[in-house]
Amino acid sequence: MGTKAAYWLGVITLAMMTAAIFMVFVYVPTEAQQGIVQRIFYFHVPCAWVAFAAFALVAISGGFYLWLGQQVWDDLAYASAEVGMLFCTLVLITGSIWAKPIWGAWWTWDSRLTTTLVLWLLYAGYLTLRVMANEVPQVGRLAAVVGIVAAADVPVIIVSVRLWRTIHPAVIVTRQGGHGLEDPRMIATLLVSMSAFTALCVWLLMLRFSTLRTTARIADLGRQLALAEAEMADRSGQVRGSS
Amino acid sequence: MENLSYLFVAYSIIFAAIVLYVMFLWRRQARLDSRLRGLEIQLNEIRDELAADQPKPMTTASRSVS
Amino acid sequence: MSAFTAILRKDLRLELRGGESTLTLVFLSLLILTVLTFALNAPAGDAGTAAGALWVAMIFAGTMGAARALVVEWENGCIRALLLSPAERASIYCAKLVASFVFMVLAELAATVMMVLFFNLDFGIRLVRLGPVLAMGALGFAALATLLATIQVRISGGDLLLPLLTVPVFVPALIAGVKASNAALAGLPFEAFAQWLKVLAACDILFLAAGYLLFEHIISED
Repeated sequence: MGTKAAYWLGVITLAMMTAAIFMVFVYVPTEAQQGIVQRIFYFHVPCAWVAFAAFALVAISGGFYLWLGQQVWDDLAYASAEVGMLFCTLVLITGSIWAKPIWGAWWTWDSRLTTTLVLWLLYAGYLTLRVMANEVPQVGRLAAVVGIVAAADVPVIIVSVRLWRTIHPAVIVTRQGGHGLEDPRMIATLLVSMSAFTALCVWLLMLRFSTLRTTARIADLGRQLALAEAEMADRSGQVRGSS
Repeated sequence: MENLSYLFVAYSIIFAAIVLYVMFLWRRQARLDSRLRGLEIQLNEIRDELAADQPKPMTTASRSVS
Repeated sequence: MSAFTAILRKDLRLELRGGESTLTLVFLSLLILTVLTFALNAPAGDAGTAAGALWVAMIFAGTMGAARALVVEWENGCIRALLLSPAERASIYCAKLVASFVFMVLAELAATVMMVLFFNLDFGIRLVRLGPVLAMGALGFAALATLLATIQVRISGGDLLLPLLTVPVFVPALIAGVKASNAALAGLPFEAFAQWLKVLAACDILFLAAGYLLFEHIISED
């Protein structure tokens, strides 16, 4: 992962995010029912997209790691988990801030928010495992299995939570999808925002991934250094011994 | 404009989180890079010394170390 | 005799000879039910709260006890022997899983009796419908706990980490299980009950398949 690639991707990300901000605050019209608060939507949804996509990446990289055994895949899984966790947290926070003026409550057991909460818990478990088990040999395999099971579980979670919410008499009116976007400008803004966040996600992944790779390189050099030092000590020992 | 404060807080949090994370990663990478350079320098020094000693006859003992 | 049968028989026999797993699970379940009775203060005969309390007891007793069937091998130093034996990893997994399942079901039976008493329900025909729900829930949980049991042993502080990982993954089964239990206890029409039972079955299939396929990748001595 060259620093040049990271630099240019950073520039592109910045440009796209700037475009997205402009569109959200200047270009797109205000939604009739919810007022200006609805603009949170244009960053809230891309955060959710990144959170779920990153989790899929955790599982896929984990799978490749189990299959191929190359450390890069494990590093990619760890990096994805961190980045995904960041955006998952943002989904919950922005969702909560959005809910308050619209529904009068900081938290609602809306099916999407609930699913995201469970995803957040899965992320939390995965990252806690990573941090606590850092020194354990084969932690990568452990994490990979957890990631795969959790990701396979997500579709089941989505279905069961949705069923849970519809059978339950609706105390809270479920959000009207938010995809009932009438104005084409809204759709355009959403698409730009999604792309910007995707670029941002990839860029953050590259940055985090490179710290992990550098850490691995440091460990490797450390080993080489220890070997070289041992050889030095051995040589000087022989000099003393022979004289 | 009603609810402007909610909008403002939401976007502020998003940007603050992203910027903080980027800064955290940047500084960590810088620290790791300097440590890496330090190790590389050390390793090269020792390797130069070992190479300089090379004319000495290699006994079986030292050969087995590497 | 296959490896699966041999291991399973060993575990069950050990348990009969005074193993602590089942008893611990039973006592934990009762304890949790008692605490919930005080904490929730539900009206008598409330099927919904009773169903929820039963599942809370099952999950938290399970997080502490379900992995024991496998964890105990490390404590006895037998894990190396087990892994060196010609038994396939998948057989080990299945045997341990079934042992856990048996212990959990026994604990659930005791908990169900307590639930009926504490929440003033009836020992009636409705409990019969509860049977498959609890069995499937126990199966799914045992599958997950056995798969992830290595975490408890190989990582310091792992016994706190295990529930943090197992419970969120178990959530869909929990939702379905509580809903199905509620439908059973409250005497709701069969369709409501059957729908949730299907979700629970899907969860079980997922957990069993994942455990069966992935166990060998993470089971190791250290």
